[in-house]
Amino acid sequence: MTGFVDLYSEADTFLHKMDPRVKILAVLLISVLALILSTLYSLLVLLAFIFLLLFLARATLSRTVFALKFVLRFMVLIIVLWPIFDPAGNHVLGSLGPITITEQAIWRGVTSAARVGCLATVWYILLFTTSQRDLVRALVKLGVRFDIGLTLAISLRFLPTFSALVESIKDAQRARGLELGRGGLVKRARNYVAVLVPTIVSALKTADTLSLALQSRAYGARADRTYLRELKMRASDGIALGSLVAIFVLVASARLVLQVHI
Amino acid sequence: MIPGSSVASKEDAVISIRDLKFSYEGGVQALAGVNLDIKRGEYVAIVGGNGSGKTTLAKNIIGLLKSASGTVLVHGALASEQKIASLARVVGYAFQNPDHQLFCSSVSDEVRFGPRNQGIPEQEVERRMQHALEAMNLMALKDKPPLSLTLSARRRISIASVIAMDPQVLILDEPTTGLDMRESDDLMASIGGLNAEGRTIILITHDMKLVAKYAHRVVVMSEGRVVLDADPIGVFSDLDVLLSSKLVPPPVTRLAYRLSALGVPRNVLSPEELVFRLIQARGGAK
Amino acid sequence: METTPALLLRNVRFRHSSSKSWALDDVSLEVHKGHFVSILGSNGAGKSTICMLANGLVPHAIKGELQGSVETFGVDVANRSVAELSTRVGMVFQEPESQLFCMSVEEEVAFGPENLGVPREQIRERVEWSLELVGMTGYNDRSPFSLSGGQKQRVAIAAALSMRPDMLVLDEPAYALDPLGRIELYKVLRELKDRHGMTVLLAERDAEEASLYSDQVVLMEAGRVVASGPPRNVLRDTKMLASLGITPPQICEVSELLRSRVPGSNFSFTSVDEAEQAIIEEFAVRRRRESA
Repeated sequence: MTGFVDLYSEADTFLHKMDPRVKILAVLLISVLALILSTLYSLLVLLAFIFLLLFLARATLSRTVFALKFVLRFMVLIIVLWPIFDPAGNHVLGSLGPITITEQAIWRGVTSAARVGCLATVWYILLFTTSQRDLVRALVKLGVRFDIGLTLAISLRFLPTFSALVESIKDAQRARGLELGRGGLVKRARNYVAVLVPTIVSALKTADTLSLALQSRAYGARADRTYLRELKMRASDGIALGSLVAIFVLVASARLVLQVHI
Repeated sequence: MIPGSSVASKEDAVISIRDLKFSYEGGVQALAGVNLDIKRGEYVAIVGGNGSGKTTLAKNIIGLLKSASGTVLVHGALASEQKIASLARVVGYAFQNPDHQLFCSSVSDEVRFGPRNQGIPEQEVERRMQHALEAMNLMALKDKPPLSLTLSARRRISIASVIAMDPQVLILDEPTTGLDMRESDDLMASIGGLNAEGRTIILITHDMKLVAKYAHRVVVMSEGRVVLDADPIGVFSDLDVLLSSKLVPPPVTRLAYRLSALGVPRNVLSPEELVFRLIQARGGAK
Repeated sequence: METTPALLLRNVRFRHSSSKSWALDDVSLEVHKGHFVSILGSNGAGKSTICMLANGLVPHAIKGELQGSVETFGVDVANRSVAELSTRVGMVFQEPESQLFCMSVEEEVAFGPENLGVPREQIRERVEWSLELVGMTGYNDRSPFSLSGGQKQRVAIAAALSMRPDMLVLDEPAYALDPLGRIELYKVLRELKDRHGMTVLLAERDAEEASLYSDQVVLMEAGRVVASGPPRNVLRDTKMLASLGITPPQICEVSELLRSRVPGSNFSFTSVDEAEQAIIEEFAVRRRRESA
């Protein structure tokens, strides 16, 4: 069980080989675009671009849908609930008591759902094409302090371990007759103490040994530590980033400065 | 049929396993067709290296894992159709790491936890708790917080908390890991006491010295199958099977093999036995 | 001849800040360079404390009161940081899972030298060298979660070796391992000592491997050293070992029993090979005497 956070799939595509710093910056730019674009059409154009990236990353549709199933459910929820809570608009389709469904509200709901879809998919592509190791390395290279990067790396590294640990503890307590799914909310909460306490104790013990191990390997010995793995930006990465920045500046100024309705 | 095994009729066997196969998610086959009967009151060691399937087998017996292929009968009823909580009344499982189970503020509360989950009336819970604490020599530590005690004590508490549910069968997963010799001997003596009381003991271990010293019957597993099922003398005679099952015979057994030309039998289980046999084979000391 | 001991303890006493009793109570001990030394004792005897004195974790990371002098390769442990000492003393703990914290084997082994500011090319060399020493070449990109217990411990050793220490200290390294993993581990340690002159110091509860590989065995009980010397001498009295809570090596038990049951004999072996030879010889001699 590698843990639900590790979406990385090793492959030899252009996006996989791209410098992780460039990828992080690109995803941030695209995310901001998704937030500032206001019409459904422009968001759909962005979504199409993101789908192109999915294709370049050789991420199959079925795999993407599986990974994003919660997001998809959330999107459907948005589309269904939005018109119920947003009565504004002049083309009324129906009304029931305080609830008024208008055509415009439906489109606004779809637009919001498209926004969420863009954000989720582009971050998925980042995680799909970049190993956790490279992600943390890139963040540190971009300026995040090493100890924060290390904390992040250690947390990610121990996720599958703690996942398995919690399962073991649940098993051990089930063998003592503990039934975790049953009972009212209060009883269930109390039952989880039997899982929580051993988990925390194990975590603390691990943290203890970890701290000693870190010290034994001279962690913090010097401010100027070296790094085995170097990140190299290729020319193609630079061109891709440059183009994206150009588009971003164009769209952002059109939208925010010139108030163009896109 | 495994040579040397004594397959009892279904009525005698408290655990009866037929053709059990089990694969984990992701395709790893842990059990490839296990046949095993364990009679009431036996003291059995299930041994094997990493990946032999012994832990998977144990988890199938107590219902933590449920297989679609083959049957596991506990007291005549299918384990796969019962809830873990009800199987726990018949088969108790003491996990290898006691810290995965301990969470209460006192030893007695910890031991009360199991029977309370079974919905047993308080008076009976108290009685069982007392009995379990006595059986595991924990009376002196009754009111202490379990997490502050030594590993040896924590292991005993974990076993006591399982005994308090009054199971007929007790499965112990590597009970002596991390214990020094004194602690180990003390623990195994308590477990012997439980067996004398009539409980069926199943020891899961890869420590062949432990097996030689305490088990009455040894089931050797390798790659998801039972490859040998006999008393310790029978099992230790077959060095090849032990080695191919990723087990290490104790040094004294290895020495006995080397001295077979002097008339020493191969299946020696202890230093005392080796010396006795050696002297016997040489006609006694002058 | 190099006379500076790898580790020298003189009248050392140590008490954890949270405890009233002394974890170490007047311990004097010398570990010679290039030797394989095993510290044997029951749980709570003080073995771990000695291990952690070697690289300064005691008293710098584990607070308490330290009396007496502790010198690692002639350097007073109290006056140097753990980071400084880590270039001479590598440390391996008993829990395989909690001492590997990086996302890949390569990162783990590179971590130490990276912290020391070693140039990249050298780090690369050290990583390959360390992995080869422990038989884990090619495992660079594997995640620690995917390794077996024995493999994890070997990576932990490699991660310590990449700092190029002169002494490797291991606190019950085979604790969580199955019998084969245990044997593999000790083989690696034996080779480090034999082929690379590494000083090895380890703590154990079971004397079986100690008897086979050690130049020196130290017996401890309740914070005190009870005996110290070559295995042949120290592990002779198996009843004494048992009373200290240390599992005696079975071969030594055989040796002792034979000494008492075969008058005039002086069996003193510690390994299966030695035992086989000694017993066959002794009984052949007796046979000749009988027929003479």
